[in-house]
Amino acid sequence: MSQTAEHEASNETSEHVREIGHDEFDPIGTLTLIGIYFLILVFLWFFMYFVEFLGNDPTVVSGTLVFLATGERLA
Amino acid sequence: MTNTYIESFPAEAKVVRAAFYSSFLALAIGGLFGIIQTLHRTGYYRFMDSADYYTVLTAHGVLLAITFTIFFLVGVFTWATTTSLDRPVEDIRFTWAWYGLMVLGTVLTAIPIFAGFTDSEMSASVLFTFYAPLQGHPLFYFGLVLFVVGTWLAGVDWFRSWWAWKQEHPDERIPLPTFMVLTTTLMWYIATLGVAAAILLFLLPWSLGLVESVNPLLTRTLFWFFGHPVVYFWLMPAYMMWYVLLPKISGGKLFSDPLARVVFVLFLILSVPTGIHHQYLDPGIAEGFKFIAMTNTMFLLLPSLLTAFTVVASMEHGARQRGGTGYLGWLKALPWRDPVFAGMALAGLMFAAAGFSGMINAGMNINYLVHNTFWVVGHFHLTVGTAVALTFMAVTYWFLPQVTGKALWSRSVALGQVVLWFVGMTFMSNAMHRGGLLGIPRRTAEPQYEGFEFEAAVGSVGELDAQIALGGALLTLSLVLFFANVVGTALNSRSDDLPANEYADTLSGPSDAPLVLDNLKLWTAIAIVLVIFAYSFPLLSIIERGGLFGPELTELPVSIGLGLEYLWVTTVSTVTAAGETAITIIAGVSS
Ligand code: HEM
Ligand SMILES: [Cu+2]
Repeated sequence: MSQTAEHEASNETSEHVREIGHDEFDPIGTLTLIGIYFLILVFLWFFMYFVEFLGNDPTVVSGTLVFLATGERLA
Repeated sequence: MTNTYIESFPAEAKVVRAAFYSSFLALAIGGLFGIIQTLHRTGYYRFMDSADYYTVLTAHGVLLAITFTIFFLVGVFTWATTTSLDRPVEDIRFTWAWYGLMVLGTVLTAIPIFAGFTDSEMSASVLFTFYAPLQGHPLFYFGLVLFVVGTWLAGVDWFRSWWAWKQEHPDERIPLPTFMVLTTTLMWYIATLGVAAAILLFLLPWSLGLVESVNPLLTRTLFWFFGHPVVYFWLMPAYMMWYVLLPKISGGKLFSDPLARVVFVLFLILSVPTGIHHQYLDPGIAEGFKFIAMTNTMFLLLPSLLTAFTVVASMEHGARQRGGTGYLGWLKALPWRDPVFAGMALAGLMFAAAGFSGMINAGMNINYLVHNTFWVVGHFHLTVGTAVALTFMAVTYWFLPQVTGKALWSRSVALGQVVLWFVGMTFMSNAMHRGGLLGIPRRTAEPQYEGFEFEAAVGSVGELDAQIALGGALLTLSLVLFFANVVGTALNSRSDDLPANEYADTLSGPSDAPLVLDNLKLWTAIAIVLVIFAYSFPLLSIIERGGLFGPELTELPVSIGLGLEYLWVTTVSTVTAAGETAITIIAGVSS
């Protein structure tokens, strides 16, 4: 077991204004932050895939896509 | 009486301090080379011959990615086991012995690298990946072997402490920090088998002239068998700091001990069978094997996401205990003026950005866009170069008083240092990523060509170069401030007003964690089985196509002149076969 628990009280500074136990703690801020991060990731992934990756020909994939769409091979 | 680490464990504090100082020396030299190559590549200041660029780059890669990181983490791990088991190491001479072996290995490796700057025959400008057919002086490989053996013995030391502790505490859960050390060490044992095989069976005999050639794809694959998990060898100590130190510094508790254990178990079993994701573009490995590696890699996202959640939730807990409110308002209640906190939090933020570029690297198709470009360099300066390096520097400000018994020289300089690293890396890494998208290659002394211009949709290559050079300069300045603090602290006199040696308490403790999580044998066995699944077929097919020692040598019988080689080849195949059998048996027994 962690031997730190006993020292806890003495060590906390005046900035410590309340004690929040396991059951009262609702990490809503964490969910908000991670949700924002997730949206950024999705947006960036779409950007990378459709603009940078497919937009930068010639790639195998874009060639195939163009071929499927138009029936014409890229030079 | 302050209860610092050095008071409780004076003998161990000396070893930990020695390991830290060794790591900082590597950081200083490696960092110097970093700015030299930045100025050279971008064309701002070229004082050396471009041929020497690769010697500089080798020293930068080896000293920072191997020496700096690993010396620091063996110090942290020794602190973690002694503190959380509350017992000294079993035999301090053994502890000094592995430390000494690591130092010896580093020196032997450094000699041929640095000889590359002189006119002598000796050199090892093979970059830190030492791909054949690049060949280094035998001393380079030999030194690496000694260094790795040193880390193996360090692992034995930590396991010994745990075994001894278990005799006295048969019914207790493994304390979390020790649990993290042990799982990481097991992962490291499995991972280093790859590089040990690459060096001992092939590269070292080849550089000694015992065999004439090697199969480059085989040694590369063995390198990446080790090369991916080494990433977790750097990251897991940084994660440990985020789990056991950061919550405390934020004024809260670790959100969940069981989740932390799950994360480290997942890393143990998933880190190794993914290395082939560094070889998506290697011809000679079938797409199917690459696909398996990609799938494993995506699973590896899970422990990283769990870490993000647990660590942020622990910080939020601290912030709310300090009076923070709101969906995002609590962020303001965090102790941003504390360099230990600010450094770790900024490192975590950078790691989130690295998650994005890593996701791009990990996709088999989209990887073609960035493979071997400057993008990749941008990516790993966010991971090892910031998430790990900045965390290590930030916790140094907490550890130095613990292992020296002296107060930190300056907290404001420390705060400036971590912020400067963050800003510098934002410039440098962002521009590197963008450069990679334009197709600018990595590992190139003069990335400019006659009659060809890289075209940028936004900005220009000149603008990117300027940002890279500016970022590099800020990073160098940050390093100078860091060393000023290390030296300043060492010169301080002993203080008896220092924080005690404690780590974070937990909101949900180990009693909530299923017992099976502590069954290290089980997880090791699963890890080995997964490795066998992921690697035996690719390795066999590589050997079948290219031969153990390269294509030329597959034609047996051999002439008399090749007798020695023949002997060697037979020995190696026997040993390999025996090794495989042994692994099968071990896997069978322990599961
Ligand atoms: C002053 C700070 C730093 C600067 C200015 C810097 C600069 C650079 C540059 C420009 C390169 C790419 C060279 C090329 O591909 O041609 C590079 C490569 C590299 N850097 Fe850094 N870096 C710094 C800090 C770090 C840190 C802290 C780490 C790790 C802990 C690190 C690890 C690496 C590695 C592993 C490579 C790849 C070497 C190779 O390709 O073989 N760097 N660095
Ligand atoms: Cu990897």
